Amino acid sequence: MEYIASIGAAFSEMFTLFGLEVLIGGMLSGVMYSLVAIGFVLIYKSSGVFNFAQGTMLLFAALTFVSLTERQVNPILAFIITSIVMVIMGIIIERTVMRPLANQSLLSLFMATVGLNYFLEGLAQGTWDSAVHGIELGIPSEPIFVAEYVPWLDILVSKFDGFAAAVAIILVVGLYLFFQYTRTGLSLRAVSDDHMAAQAVGIPLSKIWAIVWAVTGVITFIVGLIWADRLSVSFTLTWAVLKGLPVILIGGLTSIPGCIIGGLIIGASEKLGEIFFAELFGGQGIEHWWAYLTALVFILIRPTGIFGEREIERI
Amino acid sequence: MYYRETGQKINSYAEDRRMVPVREDRWVMWAFMVVMFIVVPLIANDYALSAILIPMMVLGVASLGLNIATGYNGQLSLGSAGFMCFGAFAAFNVLFRLDWMNVWVAFLFAGLVAGLVGIIFGLPALRIKGFYLIVSTLCAQFFAEWFFNAYPWFLNYTSSGVAALPPHHYRFLPFQDQIFDLFGLEKDYNAYIYRYFITLIVTVALAVAAKNMVRSSTGRNWMAVRDQEIAAKVIGISVGKTKINAFFISCFYSGVAGAMYSYCYIGNVDFMIYNLRRSFLIVFMIILGGLGSILGSFLGAVFVYGWPIFLTRMADWIFGGGTLDTAFIENNSKIIVGTFIVVLLIYQPQGFAGLWNSVKFRLRVWPFKT
Amino acid sequence: MSNAVNGKEPHMVIENIDLSFGGIKCITDISFTVYKGEICAVIGPNGAGKSSMLNVINGVYIPQQGSITFEGKKFEKMKPHSAAVMGIARTFQNIALFTGMSVVENIMTGRNLMMKSTFIENALGIGRNKKEELQHREACEEIIDFLGLQAIRKTPVSALSYGLQKRVELGRALAAEPNMLLMDEPIAGMNLEEKLDMACFIQEINRNRGTTIVLIEHDMGVVMDISDHVVVMDYGAKIGDGTPDEVINNQAVVDAYLGVSHDD
Repeated sequence: MEYIASIGAAFSEMFTLFGLEVLIGGMLSGVMYSLVAIGFVLIYKSSGVFNFAQGTMLLFAALTFVSLTERQVNPILAFIITSIVMVIMGIIIERTVMRPLANQSLLSLFMATVGLNYFLEGLAQGTWDSAVHGIELGIPSEPIFVAEYVPWLDILVSKFDGFAAAVAIILVVGLYLFFQYTRTGLSLRAVSDDHMAAQAVGIPLSKIWAIVWAVTGVITFIVGLIWADRLSVSFTLTWAVLKGLPVILIGGLTSIPGCIIGGLIIGASEKLGEIFFAELFGGQGIEHWWAYLTALVFILIRPTGIFGEREIERI
Repeated sequence: MYYRETGQKINSYAEDRRMVPVREDRWVMWAFMVVMFIVVPLIANDYALSAILIPMMVLGVASLGLNIATGYNGQLSLGSAGFMCFGAFAAFNVLFRLDWMNVWVAFLFAGLVAGLVGIIFGLPALRIKGFYLIVSTLCAQFFAEWFFNAYPWFLNYTSSGVAALPPHHYRFLPFQDQIFDLFGLEKDYNAYIYRYFITLIVTVALAVAAKNMVRSSTGRNWMAVRDQEIAAKVIGISVGKTKINAFFISCFYSGVAGAMYSYCYIGNVDFMIYNLRRSFLIVFMIILGGLGSILGSFLGAVFVYGWPIFLTRMADWIFGGGTLDTAFIENNSKIIVGTFIVVLLIYQPQGFAGLWNSVKFRLRVWPFKT
Repeated sequence: MSNAVNGKEPHMVIENIDLSFGGIKCITDISFTVYKGEICAVIGPNGAGKSSMLNVINGVYIPQQGSITFEGKKFEKMKPHSAAVMGIARTFQNIALFTGMSVVENIMTGRNLMMKSTFIENALGIGRNKKEELQHREACEEIIDFLGLQAIRKTPVSALSYGLQKRVELGRALAAEPNMLLMDEPIAGMNLEEKLDMACFIQEINRNRGTTIVLIEHDMGVVMDISDHVVVMDYGAKIGDGTPDEVINNQAVVDAYLGVSHDD
């Protein structure tokens, strides 16, 4: 009986100003997950492949950048060099791994990216050591006292989170416009739908796929920088990918705006769950499975995600 | 090849259905059994048993479990280690708390517990596509890691978070104490040789059971649902039941493997070892070994587990001891395994088992080409 | 050649079926009757909704409206499992064989409704397991003999040619010992010899086992030769229904096939 009472108490606690702060903080940290998810969706949208190696690519980008800046290379130059490295890496991956597997099942393609991920991990760990590096991007991280602007809203919001959110929105809007209104974007959507048919109408598959992986490489780099600033560059970055997964499932595997919505939901539910409900379940650290549980509940209600496309199977 | 099916007539469907149809293959199989049951115990030292044979068998069973869900039924699971964790803790708790418990029943119980947990986390499969099941299985994985940390009762409140397994846990014979007294044997029941036999017996039993299931209506239904879900439905297969069934059996195997991992391999119970990394290693084992192959599950386990050991040994032998440090071995293994996965997926999607089948096929007509 | 349609009892009555996908109306108000023991051909230009009609009968698609009465029982919604249990078997336009298994395994899978042994019996090789496996293997071998698949019985189906795959699919459908067999373009993509073989199989199945057959087909020669009853569909609606001779002389049917401009 008192258990039910404490659940009720937890719920009502959420509806306080503190709860609102946690909610907003959660949503904003969820935006970080959205950024990772965008990389996934890009590749999936264009080639139907679920790229598990996203996390390690993130790490690679961050590590490259960090080793350059630590050697006193000008940050802007380092940025350009790393971008080029990521583009080349993307093209190589596409050519050596994705292309030969183009006609196999989605499961095979996914497994290939899992294998690739492991390979990159070994390579990264071999090339750089496992030390943790810090990154200073100059992004301000002091909290904003919202009360200064909105008198009754006495909560704190982190500037860093705000910056990340801004980047995410720019990326999402940019990508959305790209996919909807440019010719390359249209070609990408065609390729993801049916790459054989796309070839038949003259869309150059190899060029398109190269573009996709190259663009994703650069976006991954940018996302990697933001994450690295937050978390510092270490091998835990590779597990960032696992936070992106529930986001995509909620938002829809092919939807970029869905990444934002999914990220907000997952971030919010994670923090709210951790702060208000963790004790009820007996301990801290429910964050991880709570996020996955949220995603699970969502896809049970709407199997293809909020903005996902429903597949009609013909037989 | 010097032998194959030529000249061996099959006169009935029963003969056609034999698990090992070729006569010479049967000899090889029996010889292998003799080696494993009789020769190895006589000549192997503790190191060979504890660091090579036992873990390879245990991981083979774990891979077999995953292969049932993923290879035979098309449901990708990234939570194998989580289910192994449930199995390990189930076995520990009954062996620790019940005096009359023996390892066989404990392992059976471990499998059942893991299987039941598997059913719970596998229920979403009824509503979502095979690929998306990774959400549910990842949820199970993280849940397992959190659960046994949050409720220390399961580990008997040991402060270190690791529970050692004393000899009296290992009851595998009726009237064990008396028999050991009779033969004047030391009562170190958790000696590697006994652990080896326990592992061997369980592994062989589970492998045979798996082979039987795979070539019966159970296995056919799994594969039908994997290959063409709608057509399977149309011919009357209950897709939901089949998926849950595959998942239950898969997690059962994982649970037993988990119990064996703690009891027979590591020698203590610790939830930290059943982490996501281990789940992924098992996935690698079945990809390399061959999805949808029982032999493949074991081949994959041997390779993924054995490669670092092999590498170290070779380097030691060629260059003298201690040449390669652990970091290098680890990174090298990752690169090798990762490369093998991608290469095999491109050229031989059926993994090592597929390679072996190709070799057998070519040897049928060797020295001719086709 | 064929028996008269009149005087036979209905096996399946389709009434006022409507099927849409989002905004696309796939089938509009279709009704027809299939009689016991006949070969009923469903013909029509591509995209007419013929496969979808079959999918409705199997329960793969759920119609927005209408009902199917099978052997006297009326259904507004059919479930694939129920259709199978009632004895409706199916072959598919794009071949839906289980690619990971061999020919005999695919055909054995067709008999799954008759296999009662549980996974424990199967795992331990006890109880009904052995008996069922041997008994059903015999039945499947009869089908393999009938269809001439002996030489390839252990071949993985993915290694077979298109024509042979279609035959294996027929075998899998026959394994269920169905009362009604739905065939979706069974001879499409085959050469002349394969077509003749298949047409013979269809006729033998119909005559010797009394199985009612509903088949979608484009080859007019085959349709005219072996079917007792023809239903014509175009743009989701029925435009002809009767014996082959009646239908072939129907102006609407001729127009649909030859293409006449519509003033709308």
